[in-house]
Amino acid sequence: MKDSKCKREKPTGLVHRRNPVGWLTQQGLILFLLVTSLQAEPHVIGFERFHSAEASVEGGAILFSELGCANCHGDSPVKVERKGPKLVDLSQRVEREWLREFLRNPENGRKGSTMPSMLHGMSDENLGDILAFLGTIGKGIKFRAGRHANAERGSAIYHEKGCVACHAPTADYRGPHGSGNDFDASLAIAHPDLQAKTSLEALNLFLSSPSKYRPDSRMPHIQLEPQEAIDVAAHLLDIQASDPREVSGVDDWPESTVEEAARGKALVQKMNCAACHEIPGLKPDGVREIGGDGAHHCLSKEKVEGLPFYNLTDLQRESLLLFLQKKDGFEGDGAHLTLAALNCYACHDRDSVGGPTTAANPFFVGNEGLGDSGRLPPPLTGIGHKLKPEWLKGVLEGKAENRVRPYVKTQMPAYAAHAAGLTEWLEELDRPDDPVPLEDRADDRDVGRKLLGIQGGVNCITCHNWGEQKSLGIPAVDLSNLDKRLQPTWFRSYLLNPAEYRPGTLMPPLWPGGKSTLPDVLGGDTERQIGAIWNFIEDGEGIPEGFPDRSGGQFELVPQDRPMIQRTFFNKSGTKAILVGFPGDIHLAFDGQKGKPALIWRGAFFDAYDTWFTRAAPFGDPLSEDVYPFPEAEQAGRFRGYELDGDGNPTFIVSKEGREIREKFSVTDGKMIRMISWSDGGAPDVSHPEGVETIVEEADDRLTFTYFWK
Amino acid sequence: MVIGGIASLAFSLCAEEKKNSYEVFELMSASSPNDSRSKEWKPGDGITMEVSGIEWVDGKLAVAIRKGEVWMVENPLANDPAEISYQLFASGLHEPLGVTLDKGDLLVSQRAEITRLRDSDGDGVADAYLTECDGWNVSGNYHAYAYGPERDGKDQLWVTLNLGMGNLADNRIGWRGWGGIIGDDGRFVPKSLGMRSPSGLGRNLVGDMFFTDQQGTWIPATPVYHLRPGVFYGNQESLESLKLPDAPFKMKAKPKPNQPYPDALAESPEFVPPAVWLPYNKMDRSATDIELIDQKGKFGPFDGQLLVGEFTNSSINRVFLEKVGGEYQGACFRFMQGFPAAVVRLCFSPDGQLFVGMTNRGWSSLGNRSYGLQRISYSGITPFAMQEMRAKPDGFELVFTEPVDPDTVTPEAFSMMSYTYEYSSAYGGEEILTKQHEINGIEIQEGGKRIRLKVKGCRPLFVHELRTAGLKSADGKALDFPNAYYTLNKIPK
Repeated sequence: MKDSKCKREKPTGLVHRRNPVGWLTQQGLILFLLVTSLQAEPHVIGFERFHSAEASVEGGAILFSELGCANCHGDSPVKVERKGPKLVDLSQRVEREWLREFLRNPENGRKGSTMPSMLHGMSDENLGDILAFLGTIGKGIKFRAGRHANAERGSAIYHEKGCVACHAPTADYRGPHGSGNDFDASLAIAHPDLQAKTSLEALNLFLSSPSKYRPDSRMPHIQLEPQEAIDVAAHLLDIQASDPREVSGVDDWPESTVEEAARGKALVQKMNCAACHEIPGLKPDGVREIGGDGAHHCLSKEKVEGLPFYNLTDLQRESLLLFLQKKDGFEGDGAHLTLAALNCYACHDRDSVGGPTTAANPFFVGNEGLGDSGRLPPPLTGIGHKLKPEWLKGVLEGKAENRVRPYVKTQMPAYAAHAAGLTEWLEELDRPDDPVPLEDRADDRDVGRKLLGIQGGVNCITCHNWGEQKSLGIPAVDLSNLDKRLQPTWFRSYLLNPAEYRPGTLMPPLWPGGKSTLPDVLGGDTERQIGAIWNFIEDGEGIPEGFPDRSGGQFELVPQDRPMIQRTFFNKSGTKAILVGFPGDIHLAFDGQKGKPALIWRGAFFDAYDTWFTRAAPFGDPLSEDVYPFPEAEQAGRFRGYELDGDGNPTFIVSKEGREIREKFSVTDGKMIRMISWSDGGAPDVSHPEGVETIVEEADDRLTFTYFWK
Repeated sequence: MVIGGIASLAFSLCAEEKKNSYEVFELMSASSPNDSRSKEWKPGDGITMEVSGIEWVDGKLAVAIRKGEVWMVENPLANDPAEISYQLFASGLHEPLGVTLDKGDLLVSQRAEITRLRDSDGDGVADAYLTECDGWNVSGNYHAYAYGPERDGKDQLWVTLNLGMGNLADNRIGWRGWGGIIGDDGRFVPKSLGMRSPSGLGRNLVGDMFFTDQQGTWIPATPVYHLRPGVFYGNQESLESLKLPDAPFKMKAKPKPNQPYPDALAESPEFVPPAVWLPYNKMDRSATDIELIDQKGKFGPFDGQLLVGEFTNSSINRVFLEKVGGEYQGACFRFMQGFPAAVVRLCFSPDGQLFVGMTNRGWSSLGNRSYGLQRISYSGITPFAMQEMRAKPDGFELVFTEPVDPDTVTPEAFSMMSYTYEYSSAYGGEEILTKQHEINGIEIQEGGKRIRLKVKGCRPLFVHELRTAGLKSADGKALDFPNAYYTLNKIPK
């Protein structure tokens, strides 16, 4: 939003305490009971947070979407349509008693529910029939065998992984910066009375895959590991037992007759429940015109039989009416309505609107060495310009490989069903009119390497990681793949003024006022310098200057007066490679799995750092490009070890078909000598490295090969 | 690097401050505290004494280090550091994690084989590196270590093979997660499976073999197992090798995960419980070596018991075993803590001193140095400790190193709870099905040397955690460590 039409969140003290939602804990109960009789209006977070000070078109638009109006009347002003939960397997997931009370009056089931009352004017028998029908829907769930559940760990996940961005923390929770008992819950989304509504296994099932039952992403698809889901469920239900099987499931629903269910189905169809809820076997009616006769419409202050009843406040009603006047031709308000409706604002701000509420902010934790960027999710300002479409789509799909801020504990949920549409829409929305292109010259690549580094560069790696290489200081976002993530024109404008995009960032302006501090690099040309950095990253080869260099450094093995031997994992030589470095700079890799030589090379021998000191044990390579492989072959024999002569030259021993073959290697005068002897029978087959001259000397009991280069 | 000297780090097994039951002499350690988790960690000058194997060899100490060398420490029992010297015996090895003397040669494990190191010309340096045993597969996964060999009472040499981590395909190749012996033809002979990180092997007094595993996938807490053929220790990532033609047996059933351990054990006749669980954090986090105390009192009152090294806590624990219903089970106790790096290898000298080899690299420990080698000797001052904890049909019997002051033996002095673990592929698991037990009888025997506890409702296959409070010896010493953890696989009849 360039010119903000919506109201920003006000300081907490000024926000009306409309709907304080508390936990049904001992402390919370009193407050809860006090407000029950007063608070009955639907709680729509995007409205309450941004549009509750005075009536506005935008506020009305959000209500029109989030109260489900658009589901009957069409033209949702919000990009992702608001729907109700899927009505399947209710009899296994929801207590019938709770659902009955909820249908009678949704407020009784969950404070601030946006489900309208539908059943006024219906008898208890009608309600019984509806429940009978609802109890028949679904294919049945097989709950998984019980796992261990740990409510305490669930609490940690609930409070750290992002649930409290939208929901209130538990009263007894104490985080590093905030505690639950003095939390202002007026902008938190209430849970239903979960203990009355559901069971541990059902809540576990839901938390494991919210999108299965909530297709509209209002409860987003959080990504919990199976153990995390059951732990959070145990926390939410305040279950102390560690064995889930000791906890009872949902009470059995009473048997119903076919007639009851049929009558219920007819009622559900008549009420057009399928407009909001996916109900197998039922289809929504067509679009209904907005109208009604005078007082008899959905916005009435009194319940009208056959119409939904919303217990709206005057402000909500006024806002809706304002919107309805402008509905035809309403073009929306940038991304604001959708971000407010989906509550993206609970974590992200965009153009300085939204971001964690004052109350929730202290519960966002991460690496505080990175400042607020280390614990708060990034802004969405210009996000459609910032990220490449494929990457943005991956983020919205919740792909693990698209998570670039492991230090932020809050985890981005997945919006898989909407990812493609949202990506396309944001791209379109944020596309700059006339972006300044990046000055991208391949010749400047090596300058980019220097600029990223700490020797005459702008010191990026002081704070930023580079792939597996840790930064020299704080672990800020990995730069090695930013060409996969960012659009080059955004990268350029960001580097020129990082704080414009993210106020308070620790990232300094490295080209203050657009001017380079390095006049000797590419003539001090800011555009070329930024382009050079991009170019180096995009090229993908090498690491920035200034990381501690391990290759060929202090762990290079340099044979002096005797051969050096080292076993390791080695490319083209296997996991049982025996490297022999000879004085005279000709070296050998013997493949101990196949019982044959694999490589010879000239030049530097081997850097042992990874073999000696790296836990990850990567495969090594010769410290030289001058490599001569032996022909690929199957098993040559069974390796039995090696012996060293007085000068340290190895003789490899291989057994094959009951006899022993010995191969001795040595190096003299720039030549490698390979002498083969055998215990009985004829000479074995021998192959030689490609690209090497070979002299053969044959004797009765041995073969000697001299390898040399012209 | 620091060479030699009485360690300044405080140890206390005995409650009295000045008279320790065990004294520490430091042969060598990294010179400065070092963040061993740092990727930038670099070894210092000199010998990088990251100990991965120790063996007493004819008055010398053979020490394998992780970078691939074997050093001979000459005069290792000297009290003057200047008299101790170091001689390089072998080099270029691929992560040797065990060393054993055999017919005058040393056998070392490497990633892909067991190697015989022979000094043919007697100049003190190995000149033949001969393949003693091979036949397991190595994909290059960093976590696929090989341990051993270790000799049992029948002169069999046992080898254990780690599972890889990260890529499960690395464990579908032959014999990852298996233990076996060196066959006559030099082939690895697989014997039992279900291991994760069996980094320590050791025999008991009668020659039966034991190994430790480490908390992790499928392993809820650190166990000590009786190592023998034909059994399954629980980690299902090793099952793939059962399909190989050389598989020594078939499993009748694969236990289902996500159920309490006792229920899972009941589903498969091959699936065996640990002889002892070392409850996570209370005792142990990642166990390493096993070393039998067979010192005829030269190392204190614990002969016949096993010492178990501990990586993360930089400590050593103690395990008492007894046979009940034909199988080993028993209790664990803390022994010594506060070592300067992760304890990885243990070895006694013939005069009853314990060498402790340490290395932190790759993980981390409470110790703040990267590596070290120390020697522990017994001062002759008896520690006041729970020496043994034995199962009885109606409870437990505690044996103390010194008589307990009867006045301190009150009903409040003892409490007991039991629990088990979930059998699951998760990385580590918590104590579940926890129950408090009523102690309905306390009997002081042999003037306080023994105490009989009658405990109501003991549960087979559960860990029984005993906590004591306020027990004192006759001369007023407090117990070195008040708790004990008994793995009650079977209740004696």
